[in-house]
Amino acid sequence: MGNLVKQIIDDLLKPVLADFKTLPLWITWTLIVITCAATIPLALIFRARTSFSDKPRIHFIQNMDNQPKFVSQEANALFLDGRAMRPRVEGTIARSGMAGDTHLFMGVVDGDWAATYPSSITVDHDLLLRGQGRFNIYCSPCHGAGGFGDGLVHHRANQLVETGVNGTSWVAPKNLHEEVVKRQAVGQLFNSITNGVRTMAAYRSQISTEDRWAIVAYMKALQLSQDADPSMVSNAETLPRKTTSEGSKE
Amino acid sequence: MTRQRFTFPRWTNLVLPFMIVAGTTAPLYFAIVVAYGFSPQATDVGYMPEQPIPFSHKVHAGELGIDCRYCHNTVEETQHAAIPPTQTCMNCHAQIHPESTKLQPLFESYETGMPIEWVRVHDLPQYSYFDHSAHVTRGVSCVECHGRVDTMEVVYQHETLSMGWCLECHRNPDPHVRNPDLVTQLEWGIDMSDAEKIANSINWREINNLNPSQDCSTCHR
Repeated sequence: MGNLVKQIIDDLLKPVLADFKTLPLWITWTLIVITCAATIPLALIFRARTSFSDKPRIHFIQNMDNQPKFVSQEANALFLDGRAMRPRVEGTIARSGMAGDTHLFMGVVDGDWAATYPSSITVDHDLLLRGQGRFNIYCSPCHGAGGFGDGLVHHRANQLVETGVNGTSWVAPKNLHEEVVKRQAVGQLFNSITNGVRTMAAYRSQISTEDRWAIVAYMKALQLSQDADPSMVSNAETLPRKTTSEGSKE
Repeated sequence: MTRQRFTFPRWTNLVLPFMIVAGTTAPLYFAIVVAYGFSPQATDVGYMPEQPIPFSHKVHAGELGIDCRYCHNTVEETQHAAIPPTQTCMNCHAQIHPESTKLQPLFESYETGMPIEWVRVHDLPQYSYFDHSAHVTRGVSCVECHGRVDTMEVVYQHETLSMGWCLECHRNPDPHVRNPDLVTQLEWGIDMSDAEKIANSINWREINNLNPSQDCSTCHR
């Protein structure tokens, strides 16, 4: 067996090795250089696949990836402000943007805060669920999911005020279960969301009119949930109840 | 007249074996370069442009738990998930970090009304149609295409966004669909097995009557 292997090496490999020895030097080096150079693309590919880059993406075949048109929020150098999407011209109203109904759009009826919901808003379970979802998105960061004015942004801001970073000042968000807020008519709550109140910004542009009414409805439900008469709950007897010492706290 | 007899040098014996070896390795080499180097995994994924303001999604969406839709509030209604206007930032930053140097472009934009020039990270080819609202309201979470943005200090492209990648999900949406109320909960399901996710999503597929189309005209319209 050993002999056979030796014989194969002698017969096949040795002549090839002898052939190699006669290779001119320039051919040897050319082959070495080409082999080494061939690893460079592989290394670059490995790097591209595993690392982050702030360089624009590489598109070998452009096709019609970028067409001579403007898409949402793109830049357009033709305009001074650089926006391709044009802001509404001052003094004009967009189609369907007419806010003629003061009850629906401002929460005002006959010059006073509306005590009822506008006729186009049906207060039902779906509206409350919608309101809950919107409340958790837009209100809970500051007011907290329970409305006690203890959202995570509030906590963060307090930390920053304590450490005095970058001139942060903070007015604590309102606890929505306070008597002052509870007494407010739905129209006034709607107005606070729409136009903002003190340091709270206006949410007119972020939340649609219907959703703002849904949030108002949910707020009312939230307030009721903390201050409900046991007779309003169908199976009140079976539910665990807070003791008065716990319950009277904010 | 005598002519010198020409003999091939001994190394020419190697030409034939060399041609065989080179002839098989070269195509293989180029196949590897094209397959791995021209794929969007190499050309697109990991794109992490520098933004005019070093906005951290990790702080805002992760630590502060602000819902994606607080800023990208058009995502459920429209095709485009809008980059928020300067006003949205100022809802908080009028009071928080009002003297920050990093936020100077924000305050400048607020005063002048000029837009902040954010750099687009996820950019589909313009011959393809994609609608955010169609996906988000039917239970396809942000995380399926954008990755764990709530853990990213700087946002980068996490998926290939290639046609093959889109079709993978359109052919087999089960592991990628969830309760539409949970679409912005990016960490949802990380402790679930695929089987659990699929069992859960089949429910939601039925509830939402979700049958993703694979027609050309769905995306190329």
